[in-house]
Amino acid sequence: MTLHIESRKLTSRVGWIFSHALVWMYVLLVLIPLYFLLVSPFKNNQEIFNTPFSLPHAFDLSNFINAWRDASLGPGLINSAVITVGAEVLTIVLALPAAFSLARFTSRLSAAVERFFLLGFLIPGFAALVPTVLFAVHLNLLYTPEILIFYFTATALPLSVIVLTTFLRTIPKELEEAARMDGAGWFSVLLRIYLPLSISGVMTVVLLNFLAFWNEFVFSLVLLGPDPAVRTVQVALPDLISPTGTQYGLLLAGVLIAFLPPLLVFAILEKRMQSALIAGAVKG
Amino acid sequence: MTPPPVRQGFKESINSRKKPGPRRGFIALLGAVPALTWYLVFLLGPLLGLFWMSLRDQPGILAESTFVGLKNFKHVFGDPSFRTALLNTLVQLVFLLPVLMIASLLLAYYLHRKPRGTGILSVVLFLPALLSLAGRSMAFVAILAPKPFGLVNGILGALHLDFLQRAWLADNRTALLSIIGVELWSGIGFTAILLKARMASVSREVEESATLDGVGELGMLRYIIYPIIRDYFGVVAALQLLWTLFTSAGDVLLLTGGGPGYASTNLAYLVYGKAFSQQDLGYATTVGVLLFAGGLAGALSLRATFRPTY
Repeated sequence: MTLHIESRKLTSRVGWIFSHALVWMYVLLVLIPLYFLLVSPFKNNQEIFNTPFSLPHAFDLSNFINAWRDASLGPGLINSAVITVGAEVLTIVLALPAAFSLARFTSRLSAAVERFFLLGFLIPGFAALVPTVLFAVHLNLLYTPEILIFYFTATALPLSVIVLTTFLRTIPKELEEAARMDGAGWFSVLLRIYLPLSISGVMTVVLLNFLAFWNEFVFSLVLLGPDPAVRTVQVALPDLISPTGTQYGLLLAGVLIAFLPPLLVFAILEKRMQSALIAGAVKG
Repeated sequence: MTPPPVRQGFKESINSRKKPGPRRGFIALLGAVPALTWYLVFLLGPLLGLFWMSLRDQPGILAESTFVGLKNFKHVFGDPSFRTALLNTLVQLVFLLPVLMIASLLLAYYLHRKPRGTGILSVVLFLPALLSLAGRSMAFVAILAPKPFGLVNGILGALHLDFLQRAWLADNRTALLSIIGVELWSGIGFTAILLKARMASVSREVEESATLDGVGELGMLRYIIYPIIRDYFGVVAALQLLWTLFTSAGDVLLLTGGGPGYASTNLAYLVYGKAFSQQDLGYATTVGVLLFAGGLAGALSLRATFRPTY
């Protein structure tokens, strides 16, 4: 009996050591490309491939400066920021009243509307890539930032409405009853009671959408086009590949510049961002 | 405990909210109308347009279209490049989904047991999910670059495995495999964190009593934790299926351009290529219809497979 338990302890110990090793090997696999991405922008091609793992021996920013100039990353970053902020604001402006309605008034109709928004998760916008472009042509908005803002908003709405509705339902009804007795209308209930209390839910949605909007590539390419004056920073990145000989340090410097905003937001709001992304995926 | 006395008007307002009349219910939903309209116009509209366009011929974005019935479907099914793309999509799913889901489940369970370093670990695993599709593709263009460049070739050279060195993204034996690898690199950590979040909701008591009954680590995962999170596991698998089917168009476009030849062209990339390189919009939308139907069927059947058994 004792022997049996001892041997079981031993196997579980060996199992643990094995799984530690496996997991940390996987961590290494994740970290090596990220480390490479972090140090290579400070090197030239020769250094990158002779000593890929060495720390850069000089704090040389020329790759960043050249990438900034060659791919016009300045305008790209501004375009990305305008589109991201525009779509964030429009999404909240549309999603918050909808969530307020769905959370506050329950009827068979509102349940149907909610299910309708849930259906949105099964609609992959990508399948309708071509009709979306034709629709943009039809609206005379192809290659304008507006169409990307409008489209991003539409893709974000189902999830935003559902996450906000779930959140608003947790706000106690008594608060609203009290305000109503003081003579507040529904609009002022939304503005004075629900809006301040829903800040945390709104933050979740904003963080979730920030990553999606900032990082999007295919629709940014086809709806906004590759013109350096209007394109987003993501669409600008592949410009740094040169058919006659890519400067990999330059390319990765560009990648790092575009990666910086999400990285900064994550550094400041790490826990919040994690829970936002988890909340976003939980709703299947 | 007796409820505190409630004023008459207050009670009435609660009751009237519980049973709104049809008129009231409709007015209350006014707040949802703008969002609903937006969603209908910009998401469902183009989706309906997709079916309509698949029945028409249109040689370019600005060209006139003509009704051709099911001709596009006949054309697509008879086209060898469609069959290659379909096969590549299936290969991609068959390699990617099981590896992704099983590795994520094991990793999630490891995180769930909270060994030392869990905090750092979940930050590290999260990072690839923050890097954009274009960013990670460009990073891997550098990492998988042909000799004498490329981090992978460099490492293989240092290990004296020169015979394995190749132009990973331009070799028809490894192009699709490389795309799958990049998608796994960016997907496993995040998926594991999702599954771990759900594992955290399993009650401590269940786990403790199982431990007292002598259930080992793998047994715990297999017989206690997995059955509880099974339904959610199915949801995540279905989402991953859809993400892989559709977002990989960008990965293919930026990593291999679908090549060499059609070696790494999958259905999603075929939609993009046919529409924007070859200006055949009827073909592209027909593949879009098939992709949409296949994705829906796949996602729903995955959901059904992982329905809770209790």
